Amino acid sequence: MSRRSFVCRCEDVTRSELEHAIELGLTDVEELKRYTGLGTGPCQGKECMSVLVSLLVDRGLADPGTVQPFTARPPTEPVTLGALASAAPRATQTKPQTRPQSKPQSGGTR
Amino acid sequence: MSRYDPLLSRTDERPDVSLRWDRDRPVAARRGDTVSLALLDAGALETSRSAKYRRPRGAFCLRGDCGTCLVRIDGLPNRRACTTVVRDGLQVQPQNRLVSGPDPSALIDTMMRGDMDHHHFMVRPRVVNQIMQGVARNLTGLGTLPDRAEPDAPARHEEHHPDVLVVGAGLAGRAAVEVLRAAGREVLWIDRLDRAGLVAQNDDDGLDGLCDQTGVFGVYPPERLWAAVTERPGEGAVLRSIAPRHVVVATGARDPTIPLPNNDRPGVVSARGLVEQLRRSGARLRAPAVVIGAGAHAQALARALDRPCIDPAAVERIEGSPVEAVRMRDGSACEARLVALAAPPAPAYELVRQAGASVRWDGHGFAIVRDQAGRCALGPWTVWAAGDVCGHQGLAAGDDGRRVAQALLAASSSSSALSPTP
Ligand code: FES
Repeated sequence: MSRRSFVCRCEDVTRSELEHAIELGLTDVEELKRYTGLGTGPCQGKECMSVLVSLLVDRGLADPGTVQPFTARPPTEPVTLGALASAAPRATQTKPQTRPQSKPQSGGTR
Repeated sequence: MSRYDPLLSRTDERPDVSLRWDRDRPVAARRGDTVSLALLDAGALETSRSAKYRRPRGAFCLRGDCGTCLVRIDGLPNRRACTTVVRDGLQVQPQNRLVSGPDPSALIDTMMRGDMDHHHFMVRPRVVNQIMQGVARNLTGLGTLPDRAEPDAPARHEEHHPDVLVVGAGLAGRAAVEVLRAAGREVLWIDRLDRAGLVAQNDDDGLDGLCDQTGVFGVYPPERLWAAVTERPGEGAVLRSIAPRHVVVATGARDPTIPLPNNDRPGVVSARGLVEQLRRSGARLRAPAVVIGAGAHAQALARALDRPCIDPAAVERIEGSPVEAVRMRDGSACEARLVALAAPPAPAYELVRQAGASVRWDGHGFAIVRDQAGRCALGPWTVWAAGDVCGHQGLAAGDDGRRVAQALLAASSSSSALSPTP
């Protein structure tokens, strides 16, 4: 099997893929994320961010005094859609509408 | 050692429950083990395939951070094996693989010597692109749909308006809660891990009144909300909308990988996660293993595991899948069925940043920037940060938590005298 050194395991981004992107002139956190997909998997950058920035700082591509991570948006922990739906305000949990009796229809009412 | 020889030995009771791995293989476990620990013990290290190169993968961090342990549990995809507790008869299934046994998609990794540049790989001619898209769409992605629509029980929603929300039950969180409670403050205290996992980290003391297995998944300043979800085995999920006046964030730090060749192999785990999982289960390492890392943090973990510690600079590559050895630059090799990486922990800053705090690079990760008292964000609430999330502190995190909680008490008693309570 081939040897690869992974920086982002979720999206299978290797160190040499990052090096390739850097050669193309993409040298900041945001650009590298957009080009390689790093940090866009299930962990959302929790595992790879510090490894990426260490690499950039070591090569003098990022200023340790000002470098920033990409934005971490919710959800930062897994949550099911079922759990989220439990917070639906009552007003939107509308009762099924009563249809006018005079217009019986078979299907096609949606 | 054969592929499925146990990697651990138990210091106390014998296994008392059993899960089913990959349809038919019974795996003995002890009540309270996590699924990852039980699989690791059984030498079943490969639990999924990776997205692009289709490499075999297994659990890495063993503490709920990295997402590489995702498996199908009782018909539900994408469950974290490392934080799921074993129950008798639990069905655990690998995910993201094509077939059981040798997976033909692994050829992608073998045949492709260099990198896969998805911007150009098989993009033209168009017909090749269409074929590739058809194949790629079926190979990548996470798991397949659940067997059933409804998990254990319907979810509930609860609202909380605590005086202080404390997120995290490591050393800093525990110390902060103790101080706040002693001053009579009303505290909602949560942690995403379960009690046994927290005890394995820092003993049993002072976890009373903790709402465990409750992870904050988002902070929404405009809505004045910290949103969390409690998921406990056999119970319906509880969604919590929390509108606190003060928040103490003590989310700690997590273990990054070390970018060495084949650092993704099943059997490469985080040293800290491994130590905690072993402690939780009263187990010891039986298999040959090495720790890779430099400095006092790595040395301490190597001592805890009673295994040698190797400097990453001396390593050529990790060999075997699951791992068999670490090849050194000088040509020698260390036999290892588990390779435990011990990089300096990187702060878990994401939540506090969502709440409006700034971060700075501390050489290992992004640490929260706070004022002298410990305040890091203002808004609909005052957010305080304590412990490893401000940069790894190890045992000093407890003192830090205490100090920040005292500063919170001092600041909020004087300010509440000035400003009317909302
Ligand atoms: S999240 Fe389970 S091993 Fe990392």
